Amino acid sequence: MGLSYVPVSRVGEISPGKMKPIELGGRQLLLAHLDGRYFVFARECPHEAADLQTGELENAQVRCANHGYCFDLTSGECVVPHGGPPLTTLPVEVRGEEICVKLEW
Amino acid sequence: MGYDLVIKGGRIYDGSGMPSYLSDIAVQNGRIVEIGRIQNGAARTIDAGGLAVAPGFVDHHTHMDAQIFWDPYATSEPQHGVTSIVMGNCGLTLAPAKPSDHDALVKSFVRVEAMPRSVLEAGVPWGWESFGEYLDALEGKVGVNVGGLVGHIAVRQYVMGEESVERAATTKEVEQMKRLVREAMESGALGFSTNRNERHMREDLKPVGSRLADDDELFALCQVLSELNSGVIETILGRNKIEHFKFYDRLARATGRPVLWQSLQHRWVEPNLWREQLDAVAPIFADGYQAYGLSHTVPLVRHFTLKNCQVFDEFPVWKALMFLPVEARREAFKDPATRQKMRADLADPRPVNFHRNWNVLKVEKPAKAENRKYAGKSIAELASMRGQDPLDAFLDLALEEDLDTVFWNANNGGDADAMGEILRSPYVLMGTSDAGAHVQFGADFGYGTTLLGLWVRERQLLTLEHAIHKLTFHVASIFGLQDRGLLRPGYAADIAIFDPKTVNAHEPEWAEDYPGKTKRLIQRSEGMHYTIVNGRPIYEDGRLTGDLPGRILRGSAHRDRHAAAA
Repeated sequence: MGLSYVPVSRVGEISPGKMKPIELGGRQLLLAHLDGRYFVFARECPHEAADLQTGELENAQVRCANHGYCFDLTSGECVVPHGGPPLTTLPVEVRGEEICVKLEW
Repeated sequence: MGYDLVIKGGRIYDGSGMPSYLSDIAVQNGRIVEIGRIQNGAARTIDAGGLAVAPGFVDHHTHMDAQIFWDPYATSEPQHGVTSIVMGNCGLTLAPAKPSDHDALVKSFVRVEAMPRSVLEAGVPWGWESFGEYLDALEGKVGVNVGGLVGHIAVRQYVMGEESVERAATTKEVEQMKRLVREAMESGALGFSTNRNERHMREDLKPVGSRLADDDELFALCQVLSELNSGVIETILGRNKIEHFKFYDRLARATGRPVLWQSLQHRWVEPNLWREQLDAVAPIFADGYQAYGLSHTVPLVRHFTLKNCQVFDEFPVWKALMFLPVEARREAFKDPATRQKMRADLADPRPVNFHRNWNVLKVEKPAKAENRKYAGKSIAELASMRGQDPLDAFLDLALEEDLDTVFWNANNGGDADAMGEILRSPYVLMGTSDAGAHVQFGADFGYGTTLLGLWVRERQLLTLEHAIHKLTFHVASIFGLQDRGLLRPGYAADIAIFDPKTVNAHEPEWAEDYPGKTKRLIQRSEGMHYTIVNGRPIYEDGRLTGDLPGRILRGSAHRDRHAAAA
């Protein structure tokens, strides 16, 4: 099994309730800090490709500012509307002072 | 006597769907007066040799309710041959409105249609109260023709105030709303729009008012259109479900008015849904009622390399690999054990949006000259040419080209057979441009030019005559636009002149032309030579002319009331 931890930010570099653009593997992602947890997800809404950085964070979800699609940041599931296209999310682990994306294949 | 304008030597696509023919068109006082070999002189002659001459397109699904006040051309509509627009869709309108309702309506537009609040606050010159006064405020000030539906959200807000987003209406309130709908229709509305989409909330996260209307309220308001024998009923119920068709069926039969529903598109994740939707409306049409599905012409296409690929994100093994550093990714793709995991991941039968179909995924642009023979081939064809399994062929070609091979995928609108049936269906109303909304996220003004360029010229899924019909007379007929949508003597001289060999839509681009120099996306076109409204060019040689010949398009209830008064 392949396993890789890729650091994407240092703890303290992102304020609670905020999103920060990051790049990983040539892709544009967002790192969010919510209620003491970190989430990494695609910057592009899977519905019609809007920039989710203009969206809103709440209760471990992000709501797209374009059409109001809402995604669970843990699973990527589209919760509004149910059954909509999923958001790409990546597992995150804090390792020491580094926030890392965990890649497993 | 000289005419105002003669268009010489073009090929006439008259909007009826009948075969095209070579002819001249003469225009006088904003109307077509003669079609044939025109001998008389004219104040202006346009040489249309080698070009198509068609009725101006009708964009029936816009949210230009605000933009039209600071942009009388509703740009980028004229750039794509559009001469008439319909506003007020999805239950959202700026009238009727008392001063105390203004902020509530802004809240809905900001959230549902993603319009910047600062733009609405700076750009909407409130001053009307009734729907008729709103239309009057635009009279004589527009470059394109403008019509509007009256929106349920505004009607409800006017009668119930802030309680419209909190509760069901009383019988008395429904009666008041019915009077408002009647007044709007008699002053020129082209129909009524409503919104039951679960995603549609105001800025303050309260549901838009129409979502709180029960069937009794909604049917009572639509019944006004039935009594007036006028107008369309435009609906948005949210995510497509086949159960919705019972509702459309009831509404169409109860009112006898055309019901418009959203929406219809081929999607690989539900590859037969579009057919089930068309099958579901067939009995409605068979019995003499109408329920048209709105559809779009712009496929959601991904162009990608394996250096930057999101197509496979629903598959955990693939997703992890696609986020690895490129060198590590390359090594992983070479590994037979990893390939086996990728194969198993792809074969997992759980429902996903990706189609898992190697016949759909294509090689768009090989990086190396020796691989050009693969350009345009599906991965299934590539595998056959190379004598490999599709996944191996896909990965090996990418590896041979340092992961720079450009691939093509479309989860929506990518099946040409399905698109052909959808585009040709008489039950499908073409176009959901949403023009004037979501202005910082997308621009689909070019749904018509995309239809003509991609689906007619490149893919040959329907004739140019048929496509022009779908963009013009088909729409004008459903919306009751009198004397528009055809090139015939007596009809308004709304005309698009374009080159069928080049017509197409450009990619959207940023402009800073909204109030306060706010950025928004616009869209240019290719091959559109002239857009003429009521006999006067508003767009030619790539520029707006500055002329404002547009009219307010008022529906038959308005005409009937005025005829009765006369």
